[in-house]
Amino acid sequence: MRIICVNTGDKFGHWYVKNLKHMIDTYSGLKYDEFVVITSENYKGVFNKLQMFDLYRDGANLYFDLDICIYGKVPNLIRKDLTVLYAWWRDRYHTTLNSSVISWTGDQSHIYETFKKDPNKWQEKYNKGIDQMLEENFKVATYDKVCYSINENEYKPKDNNYSIMLFNQRQFYMEPGWTGWWTNYFLPKS
Amino acid sequence: MNYLNTETLIGENFGMSIKICCVYFEGKYTPDYVEKLYNGLKRHCTLPFEFICYSDNPNVKADVVIPLPKYSDIKYHWHKLTFFSPLFAYQKPGDEIIIMDIDQVIVNNVDDMIGFPVVDNEIVSYKQWWGQKPHLIIQGGFIKFKSGTGTKIWDNFIKNPEYWQLYYYNEMIVHYKYFGEQNFIKDRARHHNINITLMEPEWVGIYGPNKKQNLKNNRIYMKEFKEDYMIMDKPNPKIKIVHFTNPLTTIHQCKNDWIKDHWK
Repeated sequence: MRIICVNTGDKFGHWYVKNLKHMIDTYSGLKYDEFVVITSENYKGVFNKLQMFDLYRDGANLYFDLDICIYGKVPNLIRKDLTVLYAWWRDRYHTTLNSSVISWTGDQSHIYETFKKDPNKWQEKYNKGIDQMLEENFKVATYDKVCYSINENEYKPKDNNYSIMLFNQRQFYMEPGWTGWWTNYFLPKS
Repeated sequence: MNYLNTETLIGENFGMSIKICCVYFEGKYTPDYVEKLYNGLKRHCTLPFEFICYSDNPNVKADVVIPLPKYSDIKYHWHKLTFFSPLFAYQKPGDEIIIMDIDQVIVNNVDDMIGFPVVDNEIVSYKQWWGQKPHLIIQGGFIKFKSGTGTKIWDNFIKNPEYWQLYYYNEMIVHYKYFGEQNFIKDRARHHNINITLMEPEWVGIYGPNKKQNLKNNRIYMKEFKEDYMIMDKPNPKIKIVHFTNPLTTIHQCKNDWIKDHWK
């Protein structure tokens, strides 16, 4: 099994990658064969994530965003078909999907191939991100409630019904100077 | 008058600390503004406090320096709002948080300001006596509250920072883009029924490089507080802090001796 993350641009420093690996190794219970980081920046922001469908066309793959907290043993997240999160914690907005966690087995490179034919068109049409693009153009399954969001939950104790919390648009809670229960699960910042 | 009594220190708030917080970002000011404010507080405050700076320059002098994020929806001095979050700056329940602007010179003992009593659901600021009316209710130069009081203010802001940061400019309530954080704090405080308490106005002096304006402010101060002067060769002994409030003003532009004596 392969764990994938993407760190392009300079929004997230190297600490975020080390922190993700630390949480996976320490708390998740996940056993993996390789942990890979995509750093090639060929597209706008989150569209660089699509490169993973080109680079990894075999075996079981599990992708995580860097702005998450893994604080316990995760349920089985490996899927045969392309699977992403259903954003149950918020209103629908432009998409019901959230791609902070993605899994697939085998070859899903057709997604990248489709995108690569005209990246500008896709990036312009889906300027809010790849979630809406995936939802409207590809066959995508969704997980049950396997994680929750910090939105509206930042002042509450951690929810033991889950083992993953997403920071979504609240990445700043991971930055120096911020503290919450999640801080205890992070790799200390030197 | 000394507002801080022993009970405050050893009573129910034992273990609480006073955190004096400021924001520094490269541009109008230089890192020594932070250092000089910190030095002034150390010279003129006998109460224990922790000085925290949220800064894009790691070399500012403070007890704790928290790096400003490279990427943020929050602009300029609106970063001050971050201190309203109880999750920020290592706040603990009961802590007293003071947000100060760095364009101020401490000229006398400030124990009465730093130790000004504050309770839950209350924001303390100093009262404006200068400038055009209606005066601002909350002055960004000094805002004090107990950790947790500002949670709703922060939550309101962070839901849509882009909207709020331009709201007061778009509504023509302020004349400079991205101004209005004081209005925001006042409006949100009122919306959430947070009490606003204002300290003695005569504790604050106003200064700038414009001599005519300084004379005008001296006259207002003299009339308002029945004093002989606000700032002549030196600040009136009643003044504890001098704020360089004009958006176009900096302290280092002013070469007066009294500034050299106190801003170091």
